[in-house]
Amino acid sequence: MNRDVLVIGGGIAGIQASLDLAEMGFKVHLVERLPSIGGKMAQLDKTFPTNDCAL
Amino acid sequence: MDVGRHPNIDLLAYSEVESVEGEAGDFRVTVRKKPRYVDESKCTGCGACAEKCPTVTSDEYNLGLGKAKAIYKYFAQGIPSAYTIDANLCRNFQAGKKCGVCQKVCQAGAIDYKQEAKTLEFPVGAVIVATGYELFDARRIPEYGYGRIPNVITALEFERFLSASGPTHGHVHRVTDLAVQEALPEAEKTCQKAFKGLERFEKQFEMTSDAFYERYESGEFKGGDEDYEKWAAAVRAARKAKDELEELRRKAESIEAAHRLAFIQCVGSRDIRFNKYCSGFCCMHAIKEAIIAREHDRDAQVYIFGMDIRAVGKGFEEYRNRGAHEAGIHYVRSRVAEVTEERDHTPVVWYEDTKERVVRRMPVDLVILSTACQPSASAKPLADLLGIELNEFGFFKTLSHLPLDTTKPGIFICGCAHSPMDIPESVAQASSAAARAAQVLSGSGTMRLAS
Repeated sequence: MNRDVLVIGGGIAGIQASLDLAEMGFKVHLVERLPSIGGKMAQLDKTFPTNDCAL
Repeated sequence: MDVGRHPNIDLLAYSEVESVEGEAGDFRVTVRKKPRYVDESKCTGCGACAEKCPTVTSDEYNLGLGKAKAIYKYFAQGIPSAYTIDANLCRNFQAGKKCGVCQKVCQAGAIDYKQEAKTLEFPVGAVIVATGYELFDARRIPEYGYGRIPNVITALEFERFLSASGPTHGHVHRVTDLAVQEALPEAEKTCQKAFKGLERFEKQFEMTSDAFYERYESGEFKGGDEDYEKWAAAVRAARKAKDELEELRRKAESIEAAHRLAFIQCVGSRDIRFNKYCSGFCCMHAIKEAIIAREHDRDAQVYIFGMDIRAVGKGFEEYRNRGAHEAGIHYVRSRVAEVTEERDHTPVVWYEDTKERVVRRMPVDLVILSTACQPSASAKPLADLLGIELNEFGFFKTLSHLPLDTTKPGIFICGCAHSPMDIPESVAQASSAAARAAQVLSGSGTMRLAS
């Protein structure tokens, strides 16, 4: 049984899944197509419902 | 963001999965790391390279609304913070051209034009697919005029307008007004150059251009020196450039912020021609943008055109009401038939008011389209590569009793690759998918269903 995980996509979902698994002690390989992670959410100015900054 | 720093996370940005073989607990993965032509371990992200790079292009992150260079960072706070060279644009990669400016200015010595793609292979026990979504291309509904009428934009483009780090520094203007402002420096340069060109003649003939042209018009220099003809042409060109500049300046002076905003909901979703499903987040997104627009501009008047407002989450209905009370949003229950354009580039929304049962028109400053959430184009090839199935809409198929499990054990799904959802739901699903993966890795792969 290999204890590494592959996460495909570095948007908010991929980032959250990676962080959770990494915190649990699993080794995560996070693959992102673009030069930076962040996905669509990085393009949002502020997020609902608190209107806090997305980044 | 801790992802770049976490000791347990191996971040492979600018990379693509080439193959995944094997089964739950024992997959073999091949990933292709594309060349950035910049050494990630050396680049400090200072940006000196992009400042000096001579190749200007449009900015993908700002959806083409801003400017970027051939060596770029996708966005300012991007992780990893290393720059990337776009080999399709960079002069060094075009046949017969030489540049090398970025290499010269980089103090860290991070630029490496000879960097090659790397193929990495490693084993994993589980896979989480979080490939997200794509937005519906609003050009597919030509009657709304996106791509043809400049003052019709998408909700994500409007998001960039509202952002302090965006192309307009958070000010909301009509797209056509921005074009005027952008054209102004260029017109000033052209005009200056044209008048500079007259000086040569004025010196040569010791006469002002105005005096010369007046006499030329009255026929004084007919059939004479060739230079007179050239001078006259230059005077005409300079006067034309000046007129154009003044016209632009006049327009620029009369520019006001865009106050009247119309959102059109369900562009490409809940529409049997395109996607039958509801995209879920667009109602709240439109309301959020309207509230922020109003925060930036107390005179903003916002109309949201849609069949209904779907505010189904915790606190959503309250947010909808807050939009009406605090931001003065007018929710117009309607179907928009068409957007037309007036001569002065004012877009006009033609709609059926479904409460009053009449057709109305409303001129506004900007039309903002809430485009649908669609499966990403990479979903199909990725599904084939992983050996998993898609559902009828093209999102990844999941099991009815295990909503994050794909059709292959050990591969899980979360976020908008699963179905349209907002950020809190994506985050919640991601944690669930992580927990499912952890179960597989700890040898308790099958989940017991409550009976």
